[in-house]
Amino acid sequence: MKARLRRLLFLLSVALIAAFSILPFLWFIATSLKTQMEITAIPPTLLPSFSLDFYRSALDDYHLLHYLKNSVIVAGAATAGTIGISLFAGYALARIPLRHKPLIMGSLLLVAMFPQISIAGPVWQILAALGWLNSYQGLILPYITLSLPLGVWIMTGFFRELPQELEDAARVDGCGHLQTLFRIIIPLAAPGVFTAAILVFIYAWNEFFFALLIMTQRPYQTLPVGIALFQGQYTIPWGEIAAASTIATIPLVLLVLLFQRRIVRGLSAGAIKG
Amino acid sequence: MTIPTRSVHCLAPRRRRERLFAAALLFPCFAFVAVFAFYPIIHSLYLSLYRIILGLPGLSQPFVYLENYRQLWGDAVARHALANTFLFVAVSTTCEMLLGLAMALVINRSFRGRGLIRAAVLIPWAIPTVVASQMWRFINNDHYGLLNFLLYGSDLASYQAWLADPTFAMAAVVVADIWKTSAFAALIILAGLQTIPDELYEAARLDGATAWQRFTRITLPLIKPALLIALLFRTMDAFRVFDLVFVMTQGGPADATNVLQFYGYKKMFAEGLLGYGATISVLVFLIILALSLVYVRFLGREIMEERP
Amino acid sequence: MRRRRRRGRREAPMDRISSRYPEGFRPGRTAAVFLVLLVLCLSFAGCGQEAKKANGQILRFYTWKPNQPEVWEEIVRIFEAEHPGVKVWREIGPHSSTSFHDLLTQKLKNRSKYLDVFLMDVVWTAEFAAAGWALALDDRFPRTEQSRYFANVIQANTYGGKIYGVPLYIDTGMLYYRKDLLAKHRLTPPKTWPELVRQAGIITAGEPDIYGFSAQFKQYEGLICNMMEFILANRGRLIHPETGKAALADQPAREAVQFVRNQIIGKTAPAGILAYEEPESLALFVQGKAVFHRNWPYAWEAANDPSRSRVAGKVGIAPLPAFPGGASRAALGGWQLGISRYSENKELAWKFIAFLSSPRIQKLLALKASLAPTRKDIYDDRDILAVCPQFREMKRAFVSAAPRPVSPLYPALSNVMQRYFSRALSGAAADINRESLAVAAEMEQLLTLAP
Repeated sequence: MKARLRRLLFLLSVALIAAFSILPFLWFIATSLKTQMEITAIPPTLLPSFSLDFYRSALDDYHLLHYLKNSVIVAGAATAGTIGISLFAGYALARIPLRHKPLIMGSLLLVAMFPQISIAGPVWQILAALGWLNSYQGLILPYITLSLPLGVWIMTGFFRELPQELEDAARVDGCGHLQTLFRIIIPLAAPGVFTAAILVFIYAWNEFFFALLIMTQRPYQTLPVGIALFQGQYTIPWGEIAAASTIATIPLVLLVLLFQRRIVRGLSAGAIKG
Repeated sequence: MTIPTRSVHCLAPRRRRERLFAAALLFPCFAFVAVFAFYPIIHSLYLSLYRIILGLPGLSQPFVYLENYRQLWGDAVARHALANTFLFVAVSTTCEMLLGLAMALVINRSFRGRGLIRAAVLIPWAIPTVVASQMWRFINNDHYGLLNFLLYGSDLASYQAWLADPTFAMAAVVVADIWKTSAFAALIILAGLQTIPDELYEAARLDGATAWQRFTRITLPLIKPALLIALLFRTMDAFRVFDLVFVMTQGGPADATNVLQFYGYKKMFAEGLLGYGATISVLVFLIILALSLVYVRFLGREIMEERP
Repeated sequence: MRRRRRRGRREAPMDRISSRYPEGFRPGRTAAVFLVLLVLCLSFAGCGQEAKKANGQILRFYTWKPNQPEVWEEIVRIFEAEHPGVKVWREIGPHSSTSFHDLLTQKLKNRSKYLDVFLMDVVWTAEFAAAGWALALDDRFPRTEQSRYFANVIQANTYGGKIYGVPLYIDTGMLYYRKDLLAKHRLTPPKTWPELVRQAGIITAGEPDIYGFSAQFKQYEGLICNMMEFILANRGRLIHPETGKAALADQPAREAVQFVRNQIIGKTAPAGILAYEEPESLALFVQGKAVFHRNWPYAWEAANDPSRSRVAGKVGIAPLPAFPGGASRAALGGWQLGISRYSENKELAWKFIAFLSSPRIQKLLALKASLAPTRKDIYDDRDILAVCPQFREMKRAFVSAAPRPVSPLYPALSNVMQRYFSRALSGAAADINRESLAVAAEMEQLLTLAP
C-alpha cells in the first residue's frame, strides 16, 4: 500500500515537472500554428487553427535555416574547442601535483565572475584589430574562453573521482603521462565530456550579447540575434518567432536525447563505480 | 612483483618533467583566458579609474582615482539595482537548486518514458534566452497572455497586468529564469547522482534505513561537490543576469527589475559613460567574488584543495 | 598493492577497462569522430572576415530591418543602376531604437572604417555631433535646400549651428479613435484630455468589454514621447530652451503627470499600459478593446488591414488633444541619414543620401511603405493624397511636432526622465512634487556638463 502511494507520488511529481517545463513551450507551439488575428485575440484562443503561414514566413522571409546553420557551426566549434582544452587542463589539475592549485582554479573562476558587458568592449576591440568581427572565429574564441571555467571545473571534478588504480597500473606498465592520458583517461572521460559538452553547447547556442555585438552582418548572425531581429519597429511577429523557436528547438532536443543515452550507458557500465 | 624502474635520484627530473607536462596541458586554457578574459578585466579595472563621457569628448578623460566609486556609493539607483539583484539571485538560485535537485532525482530513476521526460526537462534550457524572454513577455501579457487565461478564464475584468506592477514584474522575471535554467542545475546534480553506486543504497535498505535517511545520509553528502558546482555557477550567472531583463522589461516598471548588469549596460552603451559603467562591473565582480569565497569556505573546501 | 603483471600482457588494463564498456562503445572511434568534427568546425572558422573590397566601390549603410523589404531592395537597385560599379551593402541592425543606438555607437566610438551612411533617430543628432561621429553637412546641404523640409526636423538635426543629418521620414504622435463608436454616441473627436476622459467614460459605460484609451507607458524612450505630449499640451516643458534649465518641477509639468496618474492609468486606460510598447498598445486597439489610441502614423495602415485588425474601416485619426488653455503638441519622431566622419567614401555617401532624400524616392517610400515624407511640397502631390489620404490630416501635426531636448547627453537625460515618469505613474513615487524636484536637480547636473 505504502509502495503504491509512493509510486503515485513519484508519478505525480514527474507529471508536475514535465508540465511545468513543457506547458509554456506547448503554448508557444500552438501560437505558431495560429493566424495573425488569433494570436492577439482577447481572451486568448487555446486551440490553434493549424495554419502553417508562420512557418512559411519564418523560413522564407526571415531566413531561419541560415541562422540555424550559423548557430550550429559556432556552438559546435566552441564546444569542441572547450572540451578539448578542458580535458587536458582538467587532467593536469586533478592528477598532477602542482603548487598553487587553488590559485589556478580560482583564477579561472574569476573569468566567470566578471560581467560580460564589460568584457565585451575590449574583446570587440581586439577582434576589430584582427579583422575578425563578422567571422566565425570572432565569436567562437570568446565563447570558448567564457565556457572554460565551467568545462575545466567539471572535468577536474570528474577526473578526481576516477579511481587512481587504473593510472597506477598503467604507470607501472611503463606508460608515460601522455600515453596514460590518451589511452586510458580520455576514453574514460566520456560521461564527463558529454555533460560538459551539453552545457557548453547550450551556453553557446543561447548566448546573445556577444553575438549581437560582434556579428552585425547577416551571413554570420546566429539564431538568438536572428530572432531578435525578427522584431520590426512597431511590430513583434509573435507567430514567426514562435515558429522559429519550434523549428530551432526540435533538432536540439533530438541531439540532447542522443547524448543522454550515452551518458547513461557510459556510467552504468560500471567503469566508474566500485 | 615488479619493482618500479625509476630509482630515487631520478625523482627530481621526473618532477620537473611532470610540471612541464602540466604546463603544456594548461597552456591552451590560459592562453585563451589571458587574451579574452584577463586583459578585458584589467582594462575594465583601468577604465573605472577614469571619467569618460563619450558624448562630450571636449571634456577630455581625466584620471579621477576612486571618484567613480565614491559616486557609485552615493547612487540611489545603483543601491536599488543592487537590492533588486540580490533579491533576484536569492530567490531564483534557491528555487533552481531545489527544483534542479527534484528534477535530477526524478530522472535518475528508471521508469517508462524516462527519455521523453528528460527531453521535456531540457527543452526550456535549449530555447535561446531571447526567445524564452519574448515568450514569457507574451505569456504575462495582461490581455492575450496565457497566465491570465489560466488564472481567470474568461473573466476579463480580473486580468492582472503582471509586467506593469513593480512587484509582479520582478516575480515574472524570476519565474522565467527558474523555468529556463533549472535544467542546468539538474544536469550537474544528475552527473553527481550517477556516480553513487547502487550497492550503497542496497546496503542501507538492508540495514533498515528509511527513504529520507537514505537521502540525507547517502545522497546529499555524496553529491555535495556537484551541488557546490551548480550553486556556484548558478549564483555567478544569476548575479550577471542581463538578457532576460533586456527583453522582458528593460529594467522597468519604475526600475523594479533594474539589475546591476543592466544598469551598467545602460551607463556604458546607452549613455557612453564608460568609466562609470566599468565601475559597476567591478562592483558586481567583487560581490560575486565575496560570495564565492563564502561558498567555498563553508561548503566545499575540499574542491579547491589538493587531494592527500 | 600492485597487481601482478607479466611482460607481453601490456594490454591488461585496457582489456579490463574495455570489458566494462557497453557493447559497441569504442573509445578510439569516438575520439576520431570528435577530432574530425573539431577540424571541420575550425576549418569553417577560417572562412570569415569583414567583406573585402571587390572591384568598384562598396557603400556601407547601417539601417534597421524595413517593414517592407521589397521597397528598400527596389530603392537600392535603382541607386546601383544609376551608379554603375557601386554596391550598397546594407547592414541590418535591431529595430529597437536603444539597441540600434548601442550597436551603431559601438562602431562609431571605435572609429570603424566599415561604416559610411547610417540612420539616426531624431534624438541622437546632438550626441553624434558633439562626439564627432557624424560629419557636418553644411557644404552639401545648404540653407536653401534645408528650407524645403519641415523646419522642426531641420532644427532637430542642427547642433552648434551646423547641420548633421538629412531627414528621411517623419513621425509624430496621433490620436486614433473608433469613429463608429463616437458616431453612435454622437460625439466628435475630443479637443482636450479631460474631454477625452469624459467621452471614454460615456462610451465604455455603454459598450461591453472595452477600455477608454491605449498608449505606451513602459519605461523606455516611448514613455518620454507620450508624457511630453501631455506636458506640452498643458503649456509645460521638459527643459526651458532659453535658460537650458529643467522644467519638470514646474507646475504645468507636474499637473500633467498627476493627470496621467490619476485619470488615465488604471482608470481610462488599463493599468497594463505601464508595460506596453507600441505593439501591445496597438493590439489592444485593433482587437476592438480601446476607444482611443495614441500611436505613430504607421498604425493607420495596421488598423485598417482586415487581416490584422477587427476594426478595419472604423478608425478615425485626429491631432492629439490638448489641455484647456494649451495647444496640441505631439512628439517629433522620425529618422535621419548621417555620414560617418571615419568613412572613406564620403562623396559616395553623400550621393546616396541625396538620392534617398530626393523627391522621387521620398514619394516612393510614401506610396509603397507609408513613410511620411519630410519634404513639405510632397504633401500637395495628388498621387500621394490619393493613396494616403491620412497624410493631409497628419501634415498639420507634423508641422507643429515638438522635438525632444537637443543635447549631447540626451541618452542620460532620457534615462533619468524615464525613471521619474515610470515611478510617478506606477505609484512607486509617493510624492510627485518631491520627486519632480529631485529629477529636475539631476537633469540640471547633467545639463551643466554639456556646453
